[in-house]
Amino acid sequence: MARIELRGLRKQFGGGVVALDRLDLDVASGEFVSLLGPSGCGKTTALRIVAGFELPDEGEVLVDGADVLHLPASRRNMGMVFQSYSLFPNMSAKSNVEYPLRIRRQPRAERDRRARELLGLVGLAKQVDRYPHQLSGGQQQRVALARALAHEPGVLLLDEPLSALDAKVRVQLREEVRRIQLELGITTLYVTHDQEEALSISDRVAVMSEGRVEQVGTPAEVYARPRTAFVASFVGTVNRLEARVVSSVERTVRCGEVVLTVAADVFDHSDGSSVALYLRPEDVGLRPTLNGDGGGGGGGDNGLPGRVRSVTFLGPVTRVGVDCGLGALVADVSSETALGLSLDQPVSVVVDSARLRTLAAS
Amino acid sequence: MAAVTVGPPPARRRGRRRRLPAWHVLWIVVAVAYFLVPIVSLVQFSFGGVVNGHSAGFHWYGTVFADPNFRSSFWLSVQIAIETVVLSNLLLIPTTFWIHLRLPRLRPVMDFVSVLPFVVPPIVLIVGLIPFLRLFTFLYSRPEVLAFIYVVFALPFLYRSLDAGLRAINLRTLAEASANCGGSTWSTLVRVVLPNLRSAVIGGSFLTVAIAMGEFTISSLLSFNTFPVYLFNIGQTTGNEAAALSVISLLLTWALMVSLYLVGRGGRTTAQVAATR
Repeated sequence: MARIELRGLRKQFGGGVVALDRLDLDVASGEFVSLLGPSGCGKTTALRIVAGFELPDEGEVLVDGADVLHLPASRRNMGMVFQSYSLFPNMSAKSNVEYPLRIRRQPRAERDRRARELLGLVGLAKQVDRYPHQLSGGQQQRVALARALAHEPGVLLLDEPLSALDAKVRVQLREEVRRIQLELGITTLYVTHDQEEALSISDRVAVMSEGRVEQVGTPAEVYARPRTAFVASFVGTVNRLEARVVSSVERTVRCGEVVLTVAADVFDHSDGSSVALYLRPEDVGLRPTLNGDGGGGGGGDNGLPGRVRSVTFLGPVTRVGVDCGLGALVADVSSETALGLSLDQPVSVVVDSARLRTLAAS
Repeated sequence: MAAVTVGPPPARRRGRRRRLPAWHVLWIVVAVAYFLVPIVSLVQFSFGGVVNGHSAGFHWYGTVFADPNFRSSFWLSVQIAIETVVLSNLLLIPTTFWIHLRLPRLRPVMDFVSVLPFVVPPIVLIVGLIPFLRLFTFLYSRPEVLAFIYVVFALPFLYRSLDAGLRAINLRTLAEASANCGGSTWSTLVRVVLPNLRSAVIGGSFLTVAIAMGEFTISSLLSFNTFPVYLFNIGQTTGNEAAALSVISLLLTWALMVSLYLVGRGGRTTAQVAATR
């Protein structure tokens, strides 16, 4: 399977909108990489440049070391699944999947065999003769996936293929996309704005903002060790606290009246500098207190005094909003634990110092 | 004959039917009469008159079919209509496809250009065209020249029809999907886009046929004996025969409409295409 390298891609649209600003990204052979970012961050533009539907103003796209920018989309040997259903309405599911093979003048019997095999792979063996308007949205995207794979492309590109589907089908189909990708070992570039989708199926995630890649890493890295404020806030829910470094040697920071110890592996801030503390809701523990003084008051257990402001049941966990005097914090606690919490109840907010991330305050 | 109703009364099957106010019914009758009365009169007139002391009956129809000028003029009009349809489609399908796909900024320009034949009277157009057409001597004296002129008249109808058809499909994504599968622009147009434009092409072509078959001013000015010119000439001498000709013309047009409808019905509807967007 193919290796993709994007080198210094830059693309500016009319009106001075910079869609890509020197984008660099490597996708190894057989790897599943997601471009994750909000609308307008340039992820679809990057994918369309790789596919050959857009030309960059600068930069190059290398596939197995060869620049493909001069090649039209029809000769790049890539399969693509589009956001909007892109099946040919005049063709049945099988004819749609056969289309790339017909273009390549493959014998009828071979086309038929391959189309049936792929439709079976995406779970549509019984719908081969259905027309697109006779298929549900999820089924149409399965056919689109089968068609994208029909000519055995070196690269599979998916442009928010699940965004038009309902939540349950989305989860089911994304797992199938990953299963098929692993089965075929095809290099895959996947565009999505859905962080859960990206984190759940990717080998690596490239988080994008304003035309740049902010961070590339495994889903666990990106989630647990965000390198920028944008990544920390975009990927998952996060609590942000303003703080000032007390001692860079002891890795202590003052957050209001509370001194917290940061046990993270990276701490490159000077004494007295302003920092932002990032903390995932699941890394915030809550302990009911009797007098509301917050327990430890820092140091040892990093406890902050707080009061429950909201309780939202989310199923297995309950999201509890607490006001700890420094602003609103959210904590995800097991729903069983949350049974003992009520509004306005004093609690001790316990911070897992190993999970605290510090970034220079912007 | 008395109608026999089987099963529950309509009110029980489909709920209570609302009665139309009297003035609605009157309005509909007036509208239908407006169109039907001339046709009925025409048919009646085509059977009218006295020949050799007897009622004419189908005499005028027999006279029309026996006239070699009828067959030649009708066949000439059919030929010109076919040429016009082929020329118009060859010219407009790729143009409209390309404008929608690559040059959407030109759409307002095309919209404007496509209505020009409506606002420029045929006489003005032909007076302007004659000096230009005279440059092509090999064409000017041949009836095929009419097809080239009728393409201009057909432009609004065929372009609007194709434009609506292309708007109904997700052209850009379909074209990109086809390119991604390895398809060239040509194969995208022929294999993907055209089958989805079937209704639009047939609808536009039908209107083009209607224009080419019924155009009088230009063919008369250029002295070609097309069907409308023949019809006019007959009408100058024998009113009943002209009426029979008109009825034949109407029947042929309706037959054409039905056949095009039947052909078009085999294709997918716009709603079905839109459902896959």
